Parts: sequence; C-alpha cells; structure tokens
Amino acid sequence: MQPGEANKFSTHNETGVRGQGPGAGKNVAVPSQALSDSSPALLPLVPEARHPAPDTRHLTPDPIGYVMVLPYLLHLVIFLGYPLAFAFVLIFHRWNIYTPMKWVGLGNIRLLLSDPLVWRALGNTLYFLLIHIPLQLVIALGLAQLLNQKIRGRAFFRASYFLPFVISGVVVTILWQQLYAVETGIINVLLQLIGLPKIGWLTDHRFAMPAIAIMATWKNVGLYIVLFLVGLQSIPSHLYEAAELDGASGWQQFRLITIPMLNPTIMLVLVLSTIGGFSLFIEPYVMTGGGPANSTLSGILYLYKQAFFFSKMGYATTIGFFWATIIFIVVLIQRRFVETEAM
Amino acid sequence: MQPVHIYLSPSLQMRPLAILLLLVLSVSCSSSRSSTSVDTGGRATLTYWSATNAQELDFANQVAAEWNVQHPEVQIKVEPVPSGQSSEEVILAAIASGTTPDIYANVFPGAMQDLLDAQGIVQLDAYPDFYDVLHERMTPELLNQYRSSDGHFYQVPWKSNPIMVLYNTRMLREAGVSSFPTTYSEFLAAAARVTRDRDGDGRIDQWMATIDYYPIWYKRLYDYLPLYAAATNGQTLFQGRRIMFGNESSVAIFRFLHECFAKGYVPRQSFQGDVFLDGRVTAKFVGPNSIGHLERYRSADFEYDFGPIPRPDGATGQPVSFADPKSIVIFKTCRHPREAWEFIKFVISKRHDLRLLELSSQLPIRAGLLEDETFADYFERNPKLVKFAEQLATARSIESIAELKEIFDAIAQEVEASVVFDLKPPEQAVHDAARRSQQILDAQ
Repeated sequence: MQPGEANKFSTHNETGVRGQGPGAGKNVAVPSQALSDSSPALLPLVPEARHPAPDTRHLTPDPIGYVMVLPYLLHLVIFLGYPLAFAFVLIFHRWNIYTPMKWVGLGNIRLLLSDPLVWRALGNTLYFLLIHIPLQLVIALGLAQLLNQKIRGRAFFRASYFLPFVISGVVVTILWQQLYAVETGIINVLLQLIGLPKIGWLTDHRFAMPAIAIMATWKNVGLYIVLFLVGLQSIPSHLYEAAELDGASGWQQFRLITIPMLNPTIMLVLVLSTIGGFSLFIEPYVMTGGGPANSTLSGILYLYKQAFFFSKMGYATTIGFFWATIIFIVVLIQRRFVETEAM
Repeated sequence: MQPVHIYLSPSLQMRPLAILLLLVLSVSCSSSRSSTSVDTGGRATLTYWSATNAQELDFANQVAAEWNVQHPEVQIKVEPVPSGQSSEEVILAAIASGTTPDIYANVFPGAMQDLLDAQGIVQLDAYPDFYDVLHERMTPELLNQYRSSDGHFYQVPWKSNPIMVLYNTRMLREAGVSSFPTTYSEFLAAAARVTRDRDGDGRIDQWMATIDYYPIWYKRLYDYLPLYAAATNGQTLFQGRRIMFGNESSVAIFRFLHECFAKGYVPRQSFQGDVFLDGRVTAKFVGPNSIGHLERYRSADFEYDFGPIPRPDGATGQPVSFADPKSIVIFKTCRHPREAWEFIKFVISKRHDLRLLELSSQLPIRAGLLEDETFADYFERNPKLVKFAEQLATARSIESIAELKEIFDAIAQEVEASVVFDLKPPEQAVHDAARRSQQILDAQ
C-alpha cells in the first residue's frame, strides 16, 4: 500500500466511479478504509504473461506456498489460535496452574453473572468512557484544528503532543501519580494558590476515575490529533471556498463542512478510544490498584486479579471472553448509531 | 528477469507440520532443573530459602555456616526468597516451573493448602522422630493447629510474631493516658486525648494510630484478624467450608475501626517516612519483629512499649491475638529429604532458637519460653519481648484453605468501603463480606 494509491482512489471517489455506500465518497485518507480498498490494486502486479502459463483453473497446490506462509501461520497458531482455543476450553474448567484442570461446566459463567464486581467494573468502564471520549474528541479535534493552521513551530507542537503516546504507560502513570499527590502534587498546590480546597485525586472514590480519565486523555490525545489532521487535510479546500462565497461564517463552515466530512475519522477515534477504555489496565493497576472502594476497578484489572492474585484461570478467561463480547457489541452499536447520523 | 523456480520434493509438503512439531518440542523441552546438586566429591548441596530481611538472612547464614563445618557431606546454600508481590506467589510459581528450593523457612500456614494441592511438599510426620521433636517444643493441642486437612503434617511450626499494639509511651503520658487501653472505649477515649492539631493550622497533625487500609488481602491479617481473635477469644473464621465471621464481633470491630477513621483518630492518607518514629502517631499494630527497626532508627529519648489488642468492653480473661506464625517445609524437588529434615532439626534446636531471638527478635514457637533457663538471660535483657512471649501462649494460627487470599480480599474491600470511606454501614459491610466469602467457597 502506497500513499499514491490512496490518492488514486480519491480521484476515483470524487468522480463517483467507485463511490459505494453512504460514507465512501467522503472519506479518503482514513487508514482503515484505504487498507481495505486497496487490495484489488495489487492484483495487476502479479506477473502472469511471462510464463507459458499452465491451466490456472486446475492449480495443483505448490508446496513452496505453504513454506512461504509458514512464518505467518506459525505465529497465528502459536500466539493467537492456541491461546484462544485454550482460553475457550478454560471457560469450562477450574484451573490454578499448579493442579490439574477440573471440569465445572457452566459454573464460571454462573459465577460471572452473579458477581457484583464484574458489573461494578462494567459501570466503572462506562463512567470512564463517558468522561474520556467527549474530552478526547473535543481536545483532539480542537488541537488538530489549531495545528492545521500555519503557525510558528508547528512541527514541534505536533511532535510534543504525540510524545506522551509513545512513552511507556507505566512511566506516564507514575509521573501523574506525583502530579495528583494530595499534599505535594502540583495540581493541588495550584488549586490552593487560587483558594480552592485540596482534592484527593486518587484517594477519594469520587475523583479517582475522572482523574484517570483525564490522564488517559492526555496520554492518547497525540494519536487522535494525528488522525484528525489526516482527516482535516483530506477535506477538499474548494468546499470551504464555496462556503465562504456563500457567506458562511467560520463556525458554520466547521459545523456544516468539517464535522460531516470528518465523520469517518470521528468514528475511528470513537471506536479506538472505546476499545482503549475497555482495556484500561495500567493506569488503575499502578495508581490505585482498583480502589478506593473499587471505584477504579476495570474489567481487565479484575481479570488480572482473578488470574494472578487468586489463581483462578478459568474464571479469568470467562471474564475475558465476556469483556470481548461487550466490546464487540458496543462497537457495533456505535457504528450503527454514528454512521447513520452522518447520512 | 527470469523468475527462479524452486523444486520441492513431495515429502516437503509434510515439512511444515514437522517444523511446527520441532518448534513445539524445542519450546517445551526446557531442562527440568533440580535445586539439589551433587558435586564431584559426592557431596550434596541443599538450597535453603530464607526471608529477605537482613536479620533473618544473618540468622540463616550463621546457622548454615555452622552446619556446613560439621557436615561436609551435606552443604547448605542460603538464598533469600526471590522478590515478588508476596512470597506465596513466588513459591507457587516456583512449584509450577519446578524451580523450588529444597527447604523454605518462611511459609505462611494459611498458604499451606495451596502447597498441598500443588503436591509440592514432603510429608514430615513420616519421619519416625517427628512427634518427638515437635512435642519437645509445643503441646499437642498447639501442634494440632498446624495439622493439614488430610490429617498429616507437612510443616514444622517454627517462629511467630504475635500481633500487639505498639505505643509511643511518651505521647500517651503527655496526653494524660496512664495505662494501655484494653477495650474499644478505652482506646477511643485515649485517641480523643491524643489526636490534635499541634501547629494550630486547623488540620489534625497528630493521630492515635495508622492503619494501612490499602485493600491487599494480607494487610487485614494484621488488624482485622488480631481484633477478631481478641474479640472472640480465639474463634476461627471458618469451620470446614462454612464462613463463621459474619457475626456481632465482626460488626463491633468494623464499628470500632469506623469510629477511629470517622473521628480522625486514624488518618485517611498515607505518609512518606515513618510517622510513628517521627512522633506524629501514637499506636500501631505490630509484631516483635518491629523491635529491630525501632531500636535502629529511634532517637535516644524515644520511648515505646506494647499493649494488648483492644477488645469489646467487658471482655475478661487472657487476651488472644493472631500469632502470624511461619513454618519450615521441604519441597518434593529435594533429592535428599532425609538430610534436609536433619538440617531442619538443627535449625529449630534450642541453641538456634536463642540465636533467632537474639538476631531477629522473633519468637520461636516453643512452649514455656519464659520458664526455660536457656532463654532466661535473653528475656532479662529484653523485657519488651516478655509481653510477646506471654501473648504467644494464647495467640492462634490461621486455618489453611485454598481461597484464603480471596476471602481476605473480600474482607479488605468491605473494610475499605465501610470503615474508611463510610459508603455502607458496618452491619451491611460485614454481611456482604461474609456472603461474598461464602460464595467464593461454594463456587468451588
């Protein structure tokens, strides 16, 4: 996949040759779209005319093919297929690693459905998303809009915003732990300077999850700025020119051109941060251990506790599959909801 | 350019499978190493894992050095237990990977069931002199607390840190408290006098006690469990697979702790440094092993002493506490278990029990410590240890069930929710902890 190919599509798209479906005409440079659309373009690269080709309709399997895909197949089998299949088997077993597995049928699933902490974790995750996603969208889009202007030191700012995203999550978390410290943290020092009371950011069960959501937003915003920048730059400038001629204000242009044209990017950011939110782990693990009073217990942290504190591998994999199902459903709903809205 | 053709024999079609098989084999064939090694001179070397603190490592090294001189054919190699979240996890991981030492001297009896389930440890009452050796140390009733669910013994109860309340006696005296509190109301009354704002900035900066309420299961072994043992005169938390702690005594403990937090006697924050030695906190739940640290870092005029675990008002009789015992086990990977047993007997001999006291101020689990000539001189020089030796007589161990960690986690969660953050009333919290614990047991 080359950038040039994506451009090729964009011309196709704009002339309406390949435009299919509601969103296809507008979104051009969104990576996921480009990836899926570009595969047919690779076909002509296969040299066919060189050989006196045998009857291609009755291909005998060429063993070299298997050898060539072997690294990928091995990777797939060892790191994906086998663990997944094993985890699925574990759902129906009790296993603590050091004693033999024992069949428990649907015991783990029954336990899951009656376990208040699973639902607590789900509630916490939704609360996290409720703060994190709007914050993420607004800040990332706002900064992308700014960084899309011709400002001095633009490359520097773009790099700075991206930096937290590539720094290790544990390092970021430990740094923020210092910022959030009750007595010595700079945030509370500043709050007191302007006459506000101190907040137990990580020690008060009302503030711990918002605190983590703010930190997660800070850490990931760089990635989403880049995605929005790509989206912004792919909006044809003649749309804005036409709107300006018609007397549209800056806000009208933003609302009626930028937002609809960015819809696929918004969708992508939404899906990515939802999945990120559901896999929240490092932050509560390092900062709060899921507390205070389970207010930052995330699904993955609970899974981790069950697996590695209490050695309940079967129950942990049950939580894992349950969590994967929920992510799948939520993303499905989001796609339907947000994409319909864009039409 | 002409493309290159590679011709493959038909047998190569099967090759991917063969390669896969080879790979799997090479991954799974990790050499199973045993910790016991026999060197060329025909000598056996046994690995001995000790707790990681300097005092105990010192003890282990001294004892091993002495043994090694006397027994050139069986050498002991001392290693601190590798670090991990808790030593129980390290041991279980070692069992799963077959990298256990020969002897481990710091087993928490509550975790014994895990080791048994993993079939990782040697049955010790199979040795003909097991009962002779152990009955010389303790009464059959006390020994029985360490019997495993299958009726056999797999551990040698070795040492204990009975939990008591450490007080800054100067602070108590200055607040006008003349004797150590023995009941909840005495404790709360003392707390009301001690807790105050010293520098007058409107915030409390001197507290009655600190409790590390971070909800990790083992932290509740040092506050809730001794309080429960004291309140119930040593009743057990479980009977078989039934949860017994969902009772009035637990509610009273939760209420007591709740009042400590609610009235600010115990701070809802963690501190850098040692606030007890700084003279900002008056009391703390600890065992005698804390004395080493206190003696090392206290200022010359710092005064401290130990009082009993507070009990509900009106309680009588000798107060009970949690013994926090540690045991010695031999792992099945040991190729010379008989020699290992001989070494254990060497470690728990009277002479070395005295050395353990001298080096680490931890109590050997031995009846009649205070009457024994061997230790008389030590207790004379260390009067503070006498209280612990007295407490040891009535301190109790904890039942070993595989779900112990999870149950204590459930208790820790409820303590945090109710006692610390006031999110539910104590009755509700105790009820919820007991119900969840029973669910954990029933789920198995």
